[in-house]
Amino acid sequence: MDFIAVFDNLNWDSFVQLTVNGLTLGSAYALIALGYSLVYGILKLLNFAHGDVFMVGAFIGWGVIGVLGGSANPIVPVWLAISFMIIAAALGCALLGVVIERFAYRPLRNAPRIAPLISALGVSFFLQNSVLLLFSADFKTYNTFDFSGGTLFLSGINWGPLHISLLRIIVIGSAFAMMGLLALLVYRTRLGKAMRATSFDREAAAMMGIDVDRVIVWTFFIGSALAGVAGVLVGLIFSQINHFMGFNYGLKGFTAAVVGGIGNVPGAMLGGLLIGLAESYSFGYISDVWQNLIVFSILVAFMLGRPSGILGRADIKKV
Amino acid sequence: MATLLELRGVTKAFGGLTVVDELDISVAEREIVSVIGPNGAGKTTIFNLITGVYRPDSGDILLEDRSLVGLSPHRITKRGVARTFQTLRLFLNMTVKENVMAAAYGHTRAGVARSILRTPGQRREEREIHRLAEERLAFFGDRLMGYRWNQPAYSLSYANRRRLEIARATATRPKILLLDEPAAGMNPVETHEITELIGRLRNEGGYTILVIEHDMHVVEGISDRVIALDHGEKIAEGSFEQVATDGRVVEAYLGLRKAETK
Amino acid sequence: MSEPNAPPLEGPGIGKDEWVARVEARTQSGLPGEIRRFLLALPPWARIALIAVPAACIPALTNNGYFLQVAIDTSLFVLLALGLNIAVGWAGLLDLGYIAFYGFGAYGYAMLASGHTGLHWQAEVAIPVVVVATALLGFLLGLPSWRLVGDYLAIVTLFFFQIFLTVVNNGQRIQLPFKKLEAGLTRGPNGISDVDPLNFFGWHLNSLREYLWLAVGAFVVVIGALYLVNESRTGRAWRALREDPLAAEVMSMPVNWLKLVAFAAGAGIAGLTGTIFAAEQGSVFPSNFDLALLITLYAMVILGGVGSIYGVVIGAVVINVSLEVLRTPAHASWLFFIGLVLVFPVILKSWRLRGLVVAGVIGFGFAVHGIVGALWSGGVDGSTTGEAWIDRLIDNWVLLPNDPTVIGRWAYVTLIAAVLGLTLLRGLWRAAAIVPVLYLAACVWENVLVLQPSVARYIMLGGMLVALMAARPQGLLGSPRVEIV
Repeated sequence: MDFIAVFDNLNWDSFVQLTVNGLTLGSAYALIALGYSLVYGILKLLNFAHGDVFMVGAFIGWGVIGVLGGSANPIVPVWLAISFMIIAAALGCALLGVVIERFAYRPLRNAPRIAPLISALGVSFFLQNSVLLLFSADFKTYNTFDFSGGTLFLSGINWGPLHISLLRIIVIGSAFAMMGLLALLVYRTRLGKAMRATSFDREAAAMMGIDVDRVIVWTFFIGSALAGVAGVLVGLIFSQINHFMGFNYGLKGFTAAVVGGIGNVPGAMLGGLLIGLAESYSFGYISDVWQNLIVFSILVAFMLGRPSGILGRADIKKV
Repeated sequence: MATLLELRGVTKAFGGLTVVDELDISVAEREIVSVIGPNGAGKTTIFNLITGVYRPDSGDILLEDRSLVGLSPHRITKRGVARTFQTLRLFLNMTVKENVMAAAYGHTRAGVARSILRTPGQRREEREIHRLAEERLAFFGDRLMGYRWNQPAYSLSYANRRRLEIARATATRPKILLLDEPAAGMNPVETHEITELIGRLRNEGGYTILVIEHDMHVVEGISDRVIALDHGEKIAEGSFEQVATDGRVVEAYLGLRKAETK
Repeated sequence: MSEPNAPPLEGPGIGKDEWVARVEARTQSGLPGEIRRFLLALPPWARIALIAVPAACIPALTNNGYFLQVAIDTSLFVLLALGLNIAVGWAGLLDLGYIAFYGFGAYGYAMLASGHTGLHWQAEVAIPVVVVATALLGFLLGLPSWRLVGDYLAIVTLFFFQIFLTVVNNGQRIQLPFKKLEAGLTRGPNGISDVDPLNFFGWHLNSLREYLWLAVGAFVVVIGALYLVNESRTGRAWRALREDPLAAEVMSMPVNWLKLVAFAAGAGIAGLTGTIFAAEQGSVFPSNFDLALLITLYAMVILGGVGSIYGVVIGAVVINVSLEVLRTPAHASWLFFIGLVLVFPVILKSWRLRGLVVAGVIGFGFAVHGIVGALWSGGVDGSTTGEAWIDRLIDNWVLLPNDPTVIGRWAYVTLIAAVLGLTLLRGLWRAAAIVPVLYLAACVWENVLVLQPSVARYIMLGGMLVALMAARPQGLLGSPRVEIV
């Protein structure tokens, strides 16, 4: 990952730069983690296919920029082009998520616990290879640098030797905007209340007149839309995407969800940012090969030591 | 009679809520003791503490004067404590006979290598396990016999599942049986049958029995001694009549209307 | 929870979960039901012989290296699937790191017997050392299962698999503290390519035939051992653990120990398979151990029936042979139409309906072909690669555009939507809708999937897993399971 400017010596500037990089990456992880967390909270299902929904989002963004004439000369203003990409990816992935829920998970609502997990593996594999089939294994590029002659990279905040590009501001800004919207939705609307009730106790919620199936569909809709947005944002940051990217990001997103406390909305956001920072620092200060190992160690440490995560509450197991 | 099981000052809290508070219980050999109390009194928690599913915060649990605290559940079972579950936890997709055979794990020895080599010792042991399972199932008359042996446990009726749980528990060769609401969800005929069965378990099987039960007819019919709990504390102990007429027990069950008592 | 879309039931048995009643009705029916009854009637040794003897006789029938290679690969897959089945099928632990054990075994042998390290151990020493080492690694990976179950365990083991891949891919940068290797521990992505053939007490295995016999021999030993363990106290305890870990623990079974043994036993079998694989291929590469292999193995274990060793064997054979047939486009066409014929009775219930639909699809195809040909000749100008009569037939029936790239993409997405939509229809509507969907499937197959067999096979595996879980989760030979949540 050559995008991160690594400075030679450990100084304040490089630390701040790594922090900004980590927050950028972390905000994408947070968006993915939210999808895992929402679905896990309600269905107690680890949606393995979520990472691949994210990947499809990145491809939708790539498709939209192609339709709009490429990033060098889009037929609409740049800000509108990026908005189109994000909206199209969000809607496309939301639809995909709802379809996956309807056909892969709903028939297994009362099946043994291992069944939906295997179904999820199958969906993940199916999506990955379908994209491979349709678009080949080559890396696709957003050509992010071509957007209005590179202004996304060149302009931004300059503060001494420190440079925070406009692109990073856009990415972090849109991720936080999405998270803010989600928080409003979960804590301020009727649907959000129904979601929280369902996640607390599905059967009780059903008996209280909540249409649980509808809540589940909306959960997939929202979670997958967030993953789609994350896909476009990652495409914009790194410029390159391919069919296999969902696997790695999915794992990181899941780790973020666990670290923050799975099923917990603010926890997923916090976890995403933490994992992004951890990865960025280990890239900058330790090694560029073993960052996965470090993220993995964090995951295992949390699962064994504090499975409820930073913000989660410990469940008391009733026997 | 010698004391078999003894709880001394056992306390357990979840978060800030004390579920079992400084509880003392002792059960003598071949005695049937019932534990009663309203929902949430901490009855099932006691079973979980004895069998090692939970660890007490303080106090000691002794079986034949040796402490069980800190042992893992399978070791406690090996020492001679077996239980059934209020919510029925059978191995549903195994056959009826296999359910009972599986519970013989603790007092048998043949490992993977000997199973592959089919050593004479392993074959003998395997025959012994079969015999034990058939004998334990035969204890319930024809309820769990014949073709039912090879049926999966999920095909059993509710009452038969409760019987199978008891058969499975006895296959661990316990000294004391902990029965968690054995008559829950049964009709009057089945309830009567279970009452007789618990007596037979003591008289013919030689087990000591600690039982949690809500059905007062069952409690009356089987108990040598009754212990009443409320909010994790022992509020009464003695014969059924003594406990059933105890003011605090009545209050715990029915609630106290201040206007009437004053 | 009520299931609003559940079809009406014909009276589930007492105390039986309705979901189980629904799937159970399907187990006993059809060809799989027949096979199941036939197999259950045989004594265990006969079942093993039924598979092993024909496999061992393949060299007598053919000297074709390709067939022998496929037979060896299939035997190795069977071994791997049997090992995976211990943790997943018997003990109920979702182990997604299994491929790492296979890779560890392969790399382990490559370290002990190759020009890379300069060690050239005899197989009778190297294999036991590698198997024991892999089993110990399995023990280690089993440790998290003390605290984690279900999805959490799955993700930790999946990460472990990732770590294994990272290590072997970057192994050129790692050095052992006590011995300096020219190209690092594993030579990274280049792999180790000078692995010794197996050498037992001076008997060198050189030909494919000998490796096939070795693999079949390993299969007989492993499946025999598994059968005996399954019938023993340990096997019962594993099943009890799968059903209810807490009840198993309270019923005197040391659950944590049993989990470790399950992981270690599976890992040992994977390690053994890895050594045979490395020696037979003469090399090991990181790309031999990828996610696709893991999914393929899961598909094998699940298709045959989780927990049933014979089902697992059949699943592995069926899947590996089908995947092999899919490699060549000409064979793939055949497989597609044979597959359709097999699937047909499942979707449609009456013979009259089946006949009508077949006729409908054929007629519909020629009609569409004619109309499109008249309007736009570019839409039918392509042709299949094969020369057999079936290819000529397909040329005149299926739409084969000159340049199928873009149209193919849309057709593929439409097909998926159409198939999903089809599952929502019932009765006559479904029979009517099946006609265009089948024709569309044939077009997509010939235009898109056949051209990229290596991708198409994985798409089908993924789709199969999803479809199986929804329709027949116990696999072809397994018995349906009930779980009270």
